[in-house]
Amino acid sequence: MSTPVLETENLVKVYGRGAARFDALKGLTFEIHDGESVAIVGKSGSGKSTLMHLLALLDEPTAGVVALEGRPVSQLDPKKVSRLRNETFGFVFQQFFLNANQSVLDNVTLPLKIGGWGRSQRNERGMEVLEQLEIADKAKNRATDLSGGQKQRVCIARALVNRPSVIFADEPTGNLDTATSEVVEDILFGLHRDQGITLVVVTHDEDLAGRCERRLHMQDGLIVAEEHGVITPGQLDTTFDPAQLGLEDEEDRA
Amino acid sequence: MRALDVTRTALGNTMRSKLRTFLTVIAIVIGAFTLAVTTGLAAGVNQTIEDMVDGYGDQDQIYVMQASAMGQGEDTGPGPQEYDPDTAGQQSEFGQAMLTEEDIETIEGIDGITNVDPIFFVSPDYLEAPDGGQYLLSELGLPADASGMELVAGETPARDSMEITVPETWLAIFDDADDDYEDVDPESVLGETVELGISDMVRESHTVEAEVVGVSVQNLAGIGGSPMPSHALNDELYEIQSSGLDVEQDDAFVQAAADVEDMEAFEDSIKEALQEEGLVGLTVEDFMGIIQTVIDAIAWVLYGFAVIALIAASFGIVNTLLMSVQERTREIGLMKALGMSGGRIFGLFSMEAVMIGLLGSLIGVGGGVLTGVVANALLTGSGGPLGDVGGLILYAVSPVAILSITGLVVGIAFLAGTLPAARAAKKDPIEALRYE
Ligand SMILES: Nc1ncnc2c1ncn2[C@@H]1O[C@H](COP(=O)(O)OP(=O)(O)O)[C@@H](O)[C@H]1O
Ligand SMILES: [Mg+2]
Repeated sequence: MSTPVLETENLVKVYGRGAARFDALKGLTFEIHDGESVAIVGKSGSGKSTLMHLLALLDEPTAGVVALEGRPVSQLDPKKVSRLRNETFGFVFQQFFLNANQSVLDNVTLPLKIGGWGRSQRNERGMEVLEQLEIADKAKNRATDLSGGQKQRVCIARALVNRPSVIFADEPTGNLDTATSEVVEDILFGLHRDQGITLVVVTHDEDLAGRCERRLHMQDGLIVAEEHGVITPGQLDTTFDPAQLGLEDEEDRA
Repeated sequence: MRALDVTRTALGNTMRSKLRTFLTVIAIVIGAFTLAVTTGLAAGVNQTIEDMVDGYGDQDQIYVMQASAMGQGEDTGPGPQEYDPDTAGQQSEFGQAMLTEEDIETIEGIDGITNVDPIFFVSPDYLEAPDGGQYLLSELGLPADASGMELVAGETPARDSMEITVPETWLAIFDDADDDYEDVDPESVLGETVELGISDMVRESHTVEAEVVGVSVQNLAGIGGSPMPSHALNDELYEIQSSGLDVEQDDAFVQAAADVEDMEAFEDSIKEALQEEGLVGLTVEDFMGIIQTVIDAIAWVLYGFAVIALIAASFGIVNTLLMSVQERTREIGLMKALGMSGGRIFGLFSMEAVMIGLLGSLIGVGGGVLTGVVANALLTGSGGPLGDVGGLILYAVSPVAILSITGLVVGIAFLAGTLPAARAAKKDPIEALRYE
């Protein structure tokens, strides 16, 4: 397998102090490889979002290291980190976070605007991804006029527009019905397959988790299990085999 | 984000809640408007004064009076004054110290002064038009002011000839057919002869003939608003006015106008020499300087009010933008998550403040300039209430002032925007995007 795009070493996140101290992450070490699809699963409050925020460089760990493409990020200044996020990551949120007062196209091209692209180039690129996601006809609509599924498509388009190497999706299907969820999943995994984009998905949805190549099971701030291989619907298996974990790691190093 | 996009986005954001922006802008408009009107007014009036000073030609005159008349000189205090027979009787009706013949000779002796004309006030009774009609003439112009007069026809009276100018408004007395002076050609009255009636000390009436050589318009200082005699005519009238009694009386003058050979070279030395004699010399520029100082003082008071309005307005901006930052927490968090740096967020919100300031100053300064120009045209144009005052400019457009006002307003707006902008820049994207 290729080099890890993201690595962590003894990642610790502590919220509050004194009596209010809460250890959200208790020392996580793992790797995410280029072109991989990884699901972070676990109960509510287990620390999934906290972990994703650290991986996505939105937050700084209390202790430990996050490295992007082999380089530890904590030494970089905030401006560089912003730039890295803008150029290498795409984000899909459960709550969409589309700007209600802007058109679909403006919403989709926001990362490019932030990245300093000129207007005509970013509109061109914006239309390209909207076409790819088959909602180009809604480009001029206001973002609020869309259905949930369409909104999530727009979010994916926005996540894709800067040709990211990693897409982070926090509960991307959490607000969608089953049929729409399936469509959105198909889009995400299609991108993963066709463009080799690394997917990091935080989800409750077993269906979605099962389609990922790897699942990290979290509980109380720790990764308690790791599962490999895509699970086709119906043969869902959440049992954990430690031997398999070690085996895979051996293979990676080989 | 590119600077152009920051600007465009900021403009879009301020236009998003139009009513709120409008209300915030009003306060700025008031301040900017006041500044624009005041600067224009001060510039216009000062311009008028400068034009007048220029109108005096080579400004080679110095006006001399007693230092005590100017509130200078030795201390007279509130207590009883010692009686001095020499100075007694040398006070004007209003108790002002006057110049004596002796003083005039002293002044003539100062280096650089070529000629001294005492200024005295003559009160003729009437002016008789060529057709015999007599018109009340309570006031005559001072010959010493002749160089500052604005003429629409002819020229100023020659020093040694019996000549006179009349104001434009008097033209109708030369023409029976026309009641309105504006219908009379000023050139047509040049060369006409008028008679001046004046009473001596025992109220016996005398007449003096004079030739009309010019037609004047009144300027801001009032010069040209009444008929102005030549020096010779004025002297003659004064002679008649003070004759009739058998007692010899010393002449005394409120002021004297001294011609100076070379103002630049002699001004300081002349003033010094006058001071030694207990006299004060003022040039035209000095007089105008006093007026300009007063105008500037008034202008500064108005500037002060305008700046207070702007400071009040800046709190409006702070308030509006703080609300806006609060409402747009999500949006700010999203932009930060998508890689916008804190510095750029700061820039975006400061730019919104600048946009509000720019909008306010455009409307305020634009409105102020427009108001000034229109009011100036209405008031001082022909037919306006101040239309008869020649050369009066009430409002002058000054590009430098307009640019500095805009700069000041935008600067204040920017400062007001820094607090909300810093708040926005500090927002934590995770907090902002939390939805549990
Ligand atoms: N800013 C914070 N301050 C204090 N506690 C927090 C904060 N953010 C998250 N937590 C706590 O950390 C734990 C993990 O949160 P999170 O990562 O959001 O869980 P998940 O996404 O798995 O539901 C939760 O118990 C939550 O209450
Ligand atoms: Mg979560």
